[in-house]
Amino acid sequence: MVTQAQQTQTRVLTCIQCGKCTGSCPESGRTPFNIRMLMRKKQFQSVVEESIPWYCTSCGACTIRCPRDVKPSEVIIEMRAALVENGSIPVTIQKALENTFVQKNPWGRSRAKRGAWFEKMEIKIPHVSETESKRLLFTCCIQAYDPRCMVIPVNVATILNKAGVEFGVLGEEEACCGNEIRRIGESGLFEELQEENKAAFEEYGVKEIIALSPHCMNALKKEYGDLGIKISHYTEVLAPLITYGTIIPKGSYSKKVIYHDPCFLGKQNGIFDEPRDILKSVNGLELLEYSRSRENSMCCEGGGGRMFFEVEATYQRNAEVRVQEAVDRGAEEIATSCPFCVMTLEDPATEKGIKVKELSEILMEVL
Amino acid sequence: MSYALVVSEVRRGIFEERNLDSIGLCALLGKDAILLIPEGDYGMNGQLVDGLLKAKVEEAVFLNPLNMVKILEKVMVARGKPDTIVLTNSSSGNELASYAAGYFNLPIITDVNSYDKEQGIFYKSYYSDKIFGEFKPSGDGTSIVTVRSGSFKEFAADKGAAPSVETIEDVAVSTARTFMEFVEEEKTDVDITKAEFLLSLGRGIGNKDEIPDYEELAGMLKAVISGSRPVIDKLWLPKARQVGTSGKTVKPKVYLAMGISGAFQHIAGMKDSDCIIAVNKDAEAPIFQYAHYGIIADIHKVRDKLKDILKG
Amino acid sequence: MNLIVFTKRVPATQEEELRITGEGKAVDLSKVPFKVNDWDNYSVEEAVRIVEKSGGAVTAVSIGDAESDEVLRRAIAMGAKDGFLVETGDILHDPNARATLIQNFLKKENVPFDAIFTGVQSEDDQFGAVGGILAAKLGLPFVSMVIGIDAFESDHAIVRRELEGGLQERVKVMLPCVMSIQTGINEPRYVSIMGIRKASKVERKVFKAADYQENVVSKIDVAKWVYPPKQAGATILSGELEGACKELLGILKEKGVYQ
Repeated sequence: MVTQAQQTQTRVLTCIQCGKCTGSCPESGRTPFNIRMLMRKKQFQSVVEESIPWYCTSCGACTIRCPRDVKPSEVIIEMRAALVENGSIPVTIQKALENTFVQKNPWGRSRAKRGAWFEKMEIKIPHVSETESKRLLFTCCIQAYDPRCMVIPVNVATILNKAGVEFGVLGEEEACCGNEIRRIGESGLFEELQEENKAAFEEYGVKEIIALSPHCMNALKKEYGDLGIKISHYTEVLAPLITYGTIIPKGSYSKKVIYHDPCFLGKQNGIFDEPRDILKSVNGLELLEYSRSRENSMCCEGGGGRMFFEVEATYQRNAEVRVQEAVDRGAEEIATSCPFCVMTLEDPATEKGIKVKELSEILMEVL
Repeated sequence: MSYALVVSEVRRGIFEERNLDSIGLCALLGKDAILLIPEGDYGMNGQLVDGLLKAKVEEAVFLNPLNMVKILEKVMVARGKPDTIVLTNSSSGNELASYAAGYFNLPIITDVNSYDKEQGIFYKSYYSDKIFGEFKPSGDGTSIVTVRSGSFKEFAADKGAAPSVETIEDVAVSTARTFMEFVEEEKTDVDITKAEFLLSLGRGIGNKDEIPDYEELAGMLKAVISGSRPVIDKLWLPKARQVGTSGKTVKPKVYLAMGISGAFQHIAGMKDSDCIIAVNKDAEAPIFQYAHYGIIADIHKVRDKLKDILKG
Repeated sequence: MNLIVFTKRVPATQEEELRITGEGKAVDLSKVPFKVNDWDNYSVEEAVRIVEKSGGAVTAVSIGDAESDEVLRRAIAMGAKDGFLVETGDILHDPNARATLIQNFLKKENVPFDAIFTGVQSEDDQFGAVGGILAAKLGLPFVSMVIGIDAFESDHAIVRRELEGGLQERVKVMLPCVMSIQTGINEPRYVSIMGIRKASKVERKVFKAADYQENVVSKIDVAKWVYPPKQAGATILSGELEGACKELLGILKEKGVYQ
């Protein structure tokens, strides 16, 4: 029987060192991280310096563009997995993993408070078991706990409710989707999270899942196996509702807004049009595009565990580059549909005097 | 005659301020306070206690639990068993207290933060300080209590009379554990996780050039400088100073955050600080949700005003 | 070199809101997640490093309910050779009672050791006394707040104790001895879920606390549990800049960080 490691080794041997991966990588050229070189090292089973695999942001560009089937992103995950099993991983990543083990979210916030965002709402959000449609709104750890991002699930819940779309939540029974956990290389922990969530889906007969975060959507759709459940990102649900007039953005939003494609929504899952359709439906909104957009969108560097790990190299962050381009193009706001992108872009954006808005925040102002 | 024995905490010739908490508890207990101290001039006001027991041993010998129990044996022979033995809940205090509890088979309650005179209840915190337990030693014999710093100081008072003085001599000194030397903190590598007082700078400082003035303030306050991620990203401060999920987690006594908005990733790294003071000109800054105290003002102005007050 | 390390499974109460039930009789921990006591994690790591360097074995011991097996598996995953569970369903608040139980167990089961490590304190009861009491009862030297082990020889160890304000003291202690280990002494290795699963293959011996109850008596009574006095939200120091700054300095003095 061929093991995962053997499969990877075989695949890596097909690498022709064309360099397309490095050409697409958000980290190459500015940091010591060189994905082509890492594949070479893997071919020869050479030693890789311990800090190197942690640079990867899991944008997936390398795997998507590889002309062979090397899957460099997976190779990185394996390298990290070896470090994880060895126990020698950066302290902050350790903390994130241990927090996830105890509280089922990498921030270590109380599991009992995972439902705090909807408990405070005026409309009553039912438990998914109490719904007829068994449609689950999967919150995401960041959006459940981070005060800045907590507004996103509140917004989407409000909009869905207004549109008459029935849905329920799991509250504290929801565990981290594990998308980042798997990318950090802790496959055992990922399995535990997956099992826990799957058990909850089965217990309550969940038929459909609307994910608020592209990262959660990715894990649930592509890495949880065949659940027999329809899984979509909330923009995929809202866009047609607007097209068919169920939701009518009435108000005016006269701003120049540039859209940033999140990696897990865009290049990895092919959802480019729905967010744009939503923005285009808003009166007065002038939609601008980055030079690198859609499949070529520039990774914000928030994923792949980078939220929990500070790299050694000093260089101008992609988020800053992104914000600068927005400013140069005359944008007043940057719109995106991923909490990681929101958090990573907001710091440099605030500095440059430009706002970062999650799509639901714009919609709420015009509905 | 019933009495409360205070085992003092001394170090390098200094009578630690925390001892006042031990003495204060004795007042609440309504017992005569007898202070056990190594001989030597510690410059403490003897009138704070009813009696002094001077042990003729070196400080290092005194603070060694193996010797302390021998000293206590002599005290009990000389004066009879105390009702309560009180120590500070410090590194040494707790060490001495727990060893003595095992040696003499006595009840022990540590880290007491308040005392109900009427009911004879000692309050002790549990579960990350979220719950207090009401504790009482069972039985009538001697019990050992260690007190939380700052909890009973206010009850220590000058009794207006000189204390009685006795000496404790011929203490057998153990060789099973011996003091070698003190080791000072290394000044070269900054470990912000060890600092008691952090002055943390955020993006609000605006410019790298402002930092020397903040460093000056930190020096005057004896605080260690730390920072949030944006400041480190810009290389205004070294990585070792970063507080947050991708930096260090700190729990100082005081965390003074200046120009820090309170992004989630930063809060996660400092929310368990004993006292969080936030200075920010934005009244809506999330950090005020986590702070104990706040000043809504321009941080440079606060910095300069603090320096003026400290200088003048 | 035989090292015994005590490890405890504690409720993770840092983030939780706790409820007192039965008019102060009990604290509701039913919905609180559990984890290994932070101090014990450092303690196990330190012990494992010592035997990795000088040879020998680490035996992890836990006093607690059946679920405490979790922390034993964790210790084994980190490198402990054995795990012993002294099973009891009761919460033993009194450190005297705990220490006596341990003393009886070690004596009756004749567990060999050159040193015993405990964590400085446990996150739940925050007593910090078991190590010292145990040492005195066993007639062994004791060192608490160990923040660094400079040497660990067959008959003695040279360690550093953490004092206040960044100061440490270096102490020589003869073996066998008891040490309580302070957090920050090392950087504990990460234990992966797979690692813990592998550790499950090592047998953890279960003993019943009921067999070691001689003289195990609680010397302190907990009358009631209560909530600490309420703390308001951030107190804004308002008014003129000068006044607010002076107030700030006053707070710093009160907290003892600035004289």
